[in-house]
Amino acid sequence: MAEYDLSKTLIPYLDRHLSFPLLAHLGETGLFPAEEVTIAQYELAKGTNMFDYAKSLFEGIYPGKTVPAEFDVKRKNAVSKNERLQQEAQAVLDVIENPDVAQALRQDKNQNLQYLKDNYGLTLDQINALYNFGQFQYSYGNYTGAADYLYHFRVLSTDAELNTSAHWGKLASDILTGRWDVALEELNTLRDAIDTRAAPALLGTGAAQALGAVLDPALAQLHSRTWVVHWSLFVYFNHPQGRTLLLETFLAPTYLNTIQTSCPWVLRYLAAAAILSRKAAAGLTPAVAGAPAVSARVRHAIREVVKVIQTEEYQYQDPITEFLRELYVEFDFERAQKALKEAVEGVLANDFFLGEFKDEFLDCARFLVSEAYVRIHGRVDIENLSERLNLSQEEGEKWIVNLIRETRMGADAKIDLEKNVIEINRPPQPVYQTVIEKTRQLAVRTQALGVATARSGAIAQQQQQQQQAEAAPRAVEVGGN
Amino acid sequence: MSRFFRQAGDSDSESSESEDELMSSEDEGQAPPKPSTAAKPAMSRFLRTAGSDSSSSESEEESDESDEDGGEGESGESDDEDKPQIRILSAVDKRLKEMEATGKVMENGLKINDWMAISNEFDKLVRMIQRQHNLSEPIPAFYIRTLVNLETSVNAALQKEKEAKKKMNATNAKALTAMKQKVKKAIKDNESEVKKYQEDPEAFEREYLALLAHAAPPAPIAGSRIAAPGATTTTAEVDEFTTVGKGGKAQQYTSESIFKDLQAVQEARGKKNTDRAEQIRILEILVNVAATSYQRIRVLLALISSRFDYNSSVSTHMPPELWLSAQREVDQLVSIVASDPNYSIQEITEDYDELVERSPATENGVVRIRGSIISFIDRLDDEFTRSLQNIDPHGTEYVDRLKDEKVLYCTICRAQAFYEKTEQSDPLGRVIMRRLEHIYSKPDAVVQALEAAADVSEVKPSMTLTVKGSTSALVQSLCVYLYKSGNSLLRTRAMLSHIYHHALHNDFYTARDMLLMSHLQESIHSADVATQILYNRTVVQLGLCAFRSGLIKEAQATLLDIFTTQRVKELLAQGVHQQRFQVMTPEQEKAEKQRQLPFHMHINTELLEAAFLVSSMLVEIPLLASIESEEQKRKVISKPFRRLLDFADRQVFTGPPESTRDHIMQASKALQDGEWEKCRDLIQSIKIWSLMPEATTVKEMLARRIQEQGLRTYLFTYAPHYSTLSLSLLSRTFSLPLRSVTSIVSKMIWNEELSASLDQSGGVVVFQRIEVSRSQQLAAVIADKLAAMVDQNEKALDIKMGGTGGWGERNDGNKNEKRGEQTQERRGRGERTRGARGGARGRGARFSQGLGNQMPGHTGQRGQ
Repeated sequence: MAEYDLSKTLIPYLDRHLSFPLLAHLGETGLFPAEEVTIAQYELAKGTNMFDYAKSLFEGIYPGKTVPAEFDVKRKNAVSKNERLQQEAQAVLDVIENPDVAQALRQDKNQNLQYLKDNYGLTLDQINALYNFGQFQYSYGNYTGAADYLYHFRVLSTDAELNTSAHWGKLASDILTGRWDVALEELNTLRDAIDTRAAPALLGTGAAQALGAVLDPALAQLHSRTWVVHWSLFVYFNHPQGRTLLLETFLAPTYLNTIQTSCPWVLRYLAAAAILSRKAAAGLTPAVAGAPAVSARVRHAIREVVKVIQTEEYQYQDPITEFLRELYVEFDFERAQKALKEAVEGVLANDFFLGEFKDEFLDCARFLVSEAYVRIHGRVDIENLSERLNLSQEEGEKWIVNLIRETRMGADAKIDLEKNVIEINRPPQPVYQTVIEKTRQLAVRTQALGVATARSGAIAQQQQQQQQAEAAPRAVEVGGN
Repeated sequence: MSRFFRQAGDSDSESSESEDELMSSEDEGQAPPKPSTAAKPAMSRFLRTAGSDSSSSESEEESDESDEDGGEGESGESDDEDKPQIRILSAVDKRLKEMEATGKVMENGLKINDWMAISNEFDKLVRMIQRQHNLSEPIPAFYIRTLVNLETSVNAALQKEKEAKKKMNATNAKALTAMKQKVKKAIKDNESEVKKYQEDPEAFEREYLALLAHAAPPAPIAGSRIAAPGATTTTAEVDEFTTVGKGGKAQQYTSESIFKDLQAVQEARGKKNTDRAEQIRILEILVNVAATSYQRIRVLLALISSRFDYNSSVSTHMPPELWLSAQREVDQLVSIVASDPNYSIQEITEDYDELVERSPATENGVVRIRGSIISFIDRLDDEFTRSLQNIDPHGTEYVDRLKDEKVLYCTICRAQAFYEKTEQSDPLGRVIMRRLEHIYSKPDAVVQALEAAADVSEVKPSMTLTVKGSTSALVQSLCVYLYKSGNSLLRTRAMLSHIYHHALHNDFYTARDMLLMSHLQESIHSADVATQILYNRTVVQLGLCAFRSGLIKEAQATLLDIFTTQRVKELLAQGVHQQRFQVMTPEQEKAEKQRQLPFHMHINTELLEAAFLVSSMLVEIPLLASIESEEQKRKVISKPFRRLLDFADRQVFTGPPESTRDHIMQASKALQDGEWEKCRDLIQSIKIWSLMPEATTVKEMLARRIQEQGLRTYLFTYAPHYSTLSLSLLSRTFSLPLRSVTSIVSKMIWNEELSASLDQSGGVVVFQRIEVSRSQQLAAVIADKLAAMVDQNEKALDIKMGGTGGWGERNDGNKNEKRGEQTQERRGRGERTRGARGGARGRGARFSQGLGNQMPGHTGQRGQ
């Protein structure tokens, strides 16, 4: 099953520290020999300041050998450096934590700097000490501390370069400490930063880019986006609403393009998320209280994901994408069932991110299969359907009853136990219903257009929108008649 | 040959004279070496004296010196020298006589008052005098006399004319006034002489005679040159040169005098009446004579340029022999420069004395010489293309010429190696582009042959087939170099060539992704024509690639645009389009002709059309069958196909198919009728498929597609007549496996193309028929239209807002001219991001997001 393991492709896009959980997970799954995994962990740890951890790993690998002396030396260095940095940082922290200062600080960073400089003699260099200490703490595994310091640094510093770096550091720390809400917030701000920062550069170079030039800003942006995509997997698959948010983000054109160009393997997670959020999207299960209304993008996630899977088929394929493809492109339920089985056993069981969702995934996938099956068929043999769902007949029956009860299918579908079939009687949609469907969101969309136009201040266009807005309700009326 | 040249070169008035000279030179045939030695320096003097009078005496001295230089090795020179003098003296006399003859005619004209004749004669006279003047010979007294006489007669005539009652005829009067002007001007030019003459005519004449006698020794030599223009002179020399033995030549052109000779040739270059063949011959001799690298480089530079100068306007292309020697010389040049890093050829150098030998020692290191190897390579390549354009592609000559591509390719590779070594990035980019252009569109075997030839040469570029392993890798490495170089035109062309190469190797996805990511379709209409042609070729090749790979829809969409224009050949530069309503100017026609691709690079348009029509058929026929109402019928995917189909429908009688089109049209009809076997047989019997590299697999693929689409068409067409239809029957009828039948039917149901459902236990399709009333139908149509309108508005807003962020849809409003990109774009975008319907909702979502952003007081990030 190792062929479906993505750790090797993912790790290059992750931070050293973020890779530890992945490796630990690999150790648990037993896909690879335990020693190899431990060696890999050791190699990773060697580069950090987590000497104790590295030492213990070393002892685990080579039980008889003595631990290299360099660790002790390095350790000493690190401890002294730690103290020094801490002192530097403490000076700043003292000032900031002073309630007077906290009150005096404003939005404007330059003003803040000036204020701190005038009243407390804090210079930019000292503030940078916060960053250095934060980074150092991160490097030896004190993620909470690192997150704290980096946060303070970001509030004060004006250096864009270091700020971005602090952003990444804070995100990593939050991920590693498992504070998913904070991490999510952090992720969103980071994403905004990446998207906006490159925007002017993109506009300016649009023409040159059109000529096939790979320009550095664009390339850098693609690069950071790729990283964001990978890092965000941690957040999205741990946060309660992560899956829908993942769809929101990854299906946005920019990120979809990023995935298609630089990391098609992320399609697995996209596909999985689409399947997982299918039920929620259809509004069938009462979603977590307070969850925001799912957007259209999420609602039609499956369709979009299938399209992407189709186009990228030549680049990436695994049982999960295969399942969607067989189900929605080929409509070959038999093969879809096979792929699903493989996906659950081969991929999800061993995947670091998806492991927890194995059952939910299976459930949702079954739902999808039966939905498609029932929609196409007029009369379904329960036995056959159960087989399609990898269930025994009894279980299948139960499942189907639940399905009918839970979904709106109840009106059209009836189980005929005598013949052991489900009769689905779906009357064709009346024409006026389709017309209403078609024109339903036109008014809203037009309104949105109007607002957008007003914002850009184009009067002429607005008039057009108004006409549009008038036309739309009329059409509904026609439909109604 | 020489006679011919002379006659062609001479003007009418002196043809008899030059004939004379020819005779005399033939007479002198027994002593050939002599006149040549004398003639040669004379020519250079002629050139110099032409410049200004003041320097004449000095140049005479110089020529005397060189006379001695040249003649030292020869004995008995002096008595030989007399002979031409005698002859030439008579020539001068003759010239005078001629002048006098014109004077006579003029006098006669005066008597009968024929000013037209006088005017003509006077012009002739002035011309003669002008020539005389150029040679700094004294102006004959006769001329001055004539002038003075003429002036008085003109004045008198004018006077008479005023008084006369009967005016002379219009042309004559005009000639008279013209004469007046001319005489006035001539007198003004020779003011001093005229004055002298008027004071004392006899003294003036005496003075002239004295002058003539004094000037006699140098004048005759010059005189002979005067008599015949430059071309004649040199030809005459050549005649004699060829008979000279080796020793004589060495004396004539030595490495010491090489720069002087070179300069002489260069000065004559581009002048009227310069014999280019002769120049080339001189230079060829000079190359052999050249002793140092510096000399060789200089002479080669001149020689190659003059080879390219040869017949620039007369014929359409360079003769192959000349081209081959130019190619060899470029090779030679490159290898000299490549082997000796102390010499460098640059387009811009500091000024240096052309006549002085230079070496690394005198220049402190590198000797820089003005010239440009890259432009020679460019020119060689262009000439090669031009010759291919003009040779009949069906003759053996074409094939022979094509064989020269190998040597050209070697030269290019060698130049690349040279530029790599010297690290000149700009010419290196150009030379790599040239190389790429020779291989990108060729099948592997040809590239291997070319590379094998290039491999033999001693200087090799860093990128070769043997190093890279496969042609794709080679093309890749060449392209990558060009991507990295700064030149955006080269980058674009490299990109297109790379895509073309991928498409040629059936790597559809890579090619498509590259094309889409390059965003070339947005800017290609502002590119130059050659690049646009390359773009068209690339798109077409991509379409063919999709077809070969069985991606029918993609192939259809890609090829559609170019076929809608109905100017396929023109757009691919494979033939000139006859425009119905406007006539092209000759210049346009010429430009168009120059753009044409040589035959061996053509993409077979018939094959292209077959691929397009077949894929159109497979897309369009099921669609046609699915449409019930007339209105919807207007929604056409492929107009050219639809037009052909309509035309075929109107035919009362259809015979057995002959052309490819006939085959496809009849196949389409068969497909419409559900006879997929007939359709398949018709399509497979098209002969042109044999030109496809993998004809059998393509045919198999087509058969399978026909089965599938036949099934779909059948279902669409006959669904209303059934209430249930057994799946196994369908599978038997279309000989498809049951599974794929189920899959196809399910797909149709899922996509709501077919209102039916499957009954699993019975293994049948159950159809549900919905009858739609007229008003319902109209309502549905208007809803569709509204949706389309909102879409359009959103798109318009997209453009207005600059298309940043999520508003990625692009403008479709390009002109028809900008073929390929539109559907390509639409399709590509659609595939990569979302489909048409998904797109609509997706946008709506983004709108609502935009609103949400606005509420809490955020300024919309993408608004500005």
